[in-house]
Amino acid sequence: MEIGIDVGGTFTDGVVMNGGQVVNWVKKETGEDIASSIQGVLEQLLAGIDPFSVKRVVLSTTLITNIIAQGRVAPAGLILLPGPGVNPRDLPFAAKAEIIKGAVDYRGRIIEKIDPAEVSAALKRFLDSGISRIAVACKFSQRNPALEEEISRLIEEECPAVRVLASSRVSGLLNWVRRANGAVFSLQVSDDYRLFAGEVAVSMERLGLKCPVCILKADGGTIPLEQSLQRPLEGIFSGPAASTLGALAAGGEGLTSVVMDTGGTTTDLALVLEGRPLFSEKGAFVNGYPVCTRAMAVASLALGGDSTITLENGRVVLGERYGKAMCLGGARLTVTDALVYLGLSDLAGREKILPILEEMSRRHGLEAGELAEKAVSIFLESLERKLEEMFAVWEEEPAYRIWQVISGQKKRPRTVVCLGGPAKGLGILWGKKKGWQVIVPRHAQVANAIGAALSKTTLRLDFFADTQQMIYSTNIGGLHGSLEHILPNLEEAKQFAESLFRQAAKELDMPVSRSETLYEEGFNIIRGWNTLGKIYQIGMQTPPGLRAFLEKGAGTGA
Amino acid sequence: MRKTALIFFPAFDWAISPSHPEREERLLYTRDQIFEEGILDNPRIVEYKPRLAEIEDVERVHFCVPDVASQTTNAHLISAGSALKLGDALLNREIRNGFALVRPPGHHAMRVVHGNRGFCNINNEAILVEYLRFKYGIRRIAVVDTDVHHGDGTQDIFYHDPDVLVVSLHQDGRTLYPGSGFVDEAGGPGAYLKTINIPLPPGTTDEGFLKAWRRVIKPALEAFKPELVINSAGQDNHFTDPLANMRVSAAGYGKLTEELKPDLAVLEGGYAVETALPYVNLAILLALAGEDYSNVIEPQKRGTVLRQSEEIEQAIDRITGYWQEKLGREPPGKDELFGGKGLYLRSRSIYYDTDQIYEQQRESVEYCPDCPGLYQVESRAKKTWGDSRWIWGMSIPLYACPACQARAYEYWEKIIGKKNSGNGPDCFYLQDKKGNRYLREKG
Repeated sequence: MEIGIDVGGTFTDGVVMNGGQVVNWVKKETGEDIASSIQGVLEQLLAGIDPFSVKRVVLSTTLITNIIAQGRVAPAGLILLPGPGVNPRDLPFAAKAEIIKGAVDYRGRIIEKIDPAEVSAALKRFLDSGISRIAVACKFSQRNPALEEEISRLIEEECPAVRVLASSRVSGLLNWVRRANGAVFSLQVSDDYRLFAGEVAVSMERLGLKCPVCILKADGGTIPLEQSLQRPLEGIFSGPAASTLGALAAGGEGLTSVVMDTGGTTTDLALVLEGRPLFSEKGAFVNGYPVCTRAMAVASLALGGDSTITLENGRVVLGERYGKAMCLGGARLTVTDALVYLGLSDLAGREKILPILEEMSRRHGLEAGELAEKAVSIFLESLERKLEEMFAVWEEEPAYRIWQVISGQKKRPRTVVCLGGPAKGLGILWGKKKGWQVIVPRHAQVANAIGAALSKTTLRLDFFADTQQMIYSTNIGGLHGSLEHILPNLEEAKQFAESLFRQAAKELDMPVSRSETLYEEGFNIIRGWNTLGKIYQIGMQTPPGLRAFLEKGAGTGA
Repeated sequence: MRKTALIFFPAFDWAISPSHPEREERLLYTRDQIFEEGILDNPRIVEYKPRLAEIEDVERVHFCVPDVASQTTNAHLISAGSALKLGDALLNREIRNGFALVRPPGHHAMRVVHGNRGFCNINNEAILVEYLRFKYGIRRIAVVDTDVHHGDGTQDIFYHDPDVLVVSLHQDGRTLYPGSGFVDEAGGPGAYLKTINIPLPPGTTDEGFLKAWRRVIKPALEAFKPELVINSAGQDNHFTDPLANMRVSAAGYGKLTEELKPDLAVLEGGYAVETALPYVNLAILLALAGEDYSNVIEPQKRGTVLRQSEEIEQAIDRITGYWQEKLGREPPGKDELFGGKGLYLRSRSIYYDTDQIYEQQRESVEYCPDCPGLYQVESRAKKTWGDSRWIWGMSIPLYACPACQARAYEYWEKIIGKKNSGNGPDCFYLQDKKGNRYLREKG
């Protein structure tokens, strides 16, 4: 059996799954301390279950998002080696930066050496202002990490108490701003994250759970808790991943659908295409700063079940959340109340709404039903606009190859999976209006936890090699180096990439059996009339999907 | 805030041949530089997806022999289509300006296309100009070609069009392919001085490049008052380009872009794939977006100053002086330029370097007091190894008068009626830009 736990802003969900069957589930309000919330949910889940039969626990938490959003981070500094290019003062770096000499070009050649005196001076300025965590980011460090490593070494020698992190250890993808910010945030949250991991380990032991604990990643894969200590940002934004996987579990293999997850204050829209969640083209943003974490493409609408209904100059307006819905004892009329009034919700408490709704309608010369319908239709119109925006972004994804341009029009889904309390009523109305199929999973209230429990271990490798410079690099932070053998053709390059893939899987403690090729390209490096080498770009990953799907009858069509 | 749009189409799966300068690798390092900079996360820049141009978009400009499909691959249609996509975004007011960073290039493709010339089959900028004029009713457009090679294809296509100003800034044709682009090529009688060629001496630096822009092109644009400015953004004036001999740097290109403020820029040539393209493309993109490009300094440029000799200085002063004087005077009238017969005639031969084709052409333009007049061309081409082609084409200008348009169809009927298979052109074309109708008949 597997346990999945999703810690959300308001609720923490947990499930025990046996294959595609929900054995037990829990939904509790999230407390102040995330680790103890997890322990509480685990305790309830395990009632009547033998801890030895649990083979895996997967956690999805908002811990890191909270630490960063609440500004509870340790101060960090950034040493930048920009070399030629955009003015680094114009780029969105997430920490106070010192800019120094030293540069690497796109081929990994050092075009300017560093000046150790500059490093020393920068270090002193950081220490003087109380900063003892320093990220180092050099443009093209994934092609050649030598300068970043030299600076790290210099700092460690001069001041062993300082924690240094080179950006090439965090990610190997092109985009030094994202790598730099990834390094900054990793340094900032690492202590709190370590503390959290320790507490989870204690809870596991206390409850007699001996199985591995994994963290759900933003891309829907999992990483062992121990490994995630080195890469704390991997687990950021796993909430949308959990809900998208939960929708996929209910919709079945090969699902093509919009996933709508409606909470109290926001509604998230995501896309699943032929069983594969759609990823954001560039990477995630943390606190407004771009980072290198690969995440699913999610469009967020600032409206949810608790959005309040008000009237301004006779016009119906949806506003911020002030608390619970009126039917649940709240003080103001909400979207959920409108759904209850219209008979589109399973919630009781219609009698609590009636007097206010009728009074409010009368004052503005409306029928109560008109007001409720108007509020719901405003919500649906906003959803529709958001969905159109998301489709436009998806359809306008850049293409760099002929086949990508001519492979035809992308086919929009005509199904919506509804998750979260108010989603059912809204989704059924919306689906009817659009002529779409609507799926409301039976366990929609704990769909995120189901998604976490059924998630698979995934690994993606973007491999790059330059046989003239005899270097290779990958998207995985720290996995780069010198080629020992020339790779004369694409076939041999692929074999080498495959061996790196296996190596990475082993180091990350991930049982990986199969890989699929995403792209493979070989470029001739020609100068004058001579071929001087080759550049290869190869992408591979474990096939996406789930460990199991919910058993038939778990979803209800409408 | 309207944004600067980028379409980046490096065609990683297309090459003329594996070792040709126009090969898969050409924009690889540019990709690395632009992606690594993180500049695509800049809220002032938005990336668009390329699309294919339609056959009709090509027929609006070219007589492709025997047809568009035989002269183009998907890569060509995507390259041209990318320019059109940005054109639509601009005219729909979605964007402030745009850069089609695409290959293959197009500015050597002339009106008649028998094959590939100077790495080009179809002319991306000309297709863009005619598309925008047809679709959005724009009339006056300026094309400023900053490739090191003379933009002879664009010049040829608009040579008789008084509403399209074609300016080419290039290395002197006596020292570089295609060997044209001298000051006396200044437009047909109906479009005199709407073609401006500024041949610059080999060794010209940023300083000379910018001088030509400030002294000649800028005032010419101010006088012409275009509704839209398109930049054929070739990058082979760069001091490291292997196929040319100029000494311009990324900073020079950035400055020119900043001052020219093109509405749309379309990549042309530039074959220093490592030393120039990553930096020049980045500088142009930043300049278009109004960002600081002063830190885009090529490693090869550090510690050296690119200077031009006294002799080069003087040559640049001579050529800019010539144009200042020429453009400062009232030009002769159209009827005077056409002369008594009211017919412009030109015979010439054209060489297709890539495909090794010799073309013989005879062109005519009829004088009309009310419009640019009907254009006709007869062309025969022979491949070094292979068969020969003979075509005849007629073009009705976009702003033709009704009388000329009607007369063109009369001619067409007569010619098609009389065509004699086996003993005349293999193909006949009628290009009605005004009616957006493109006819083709086999001989």
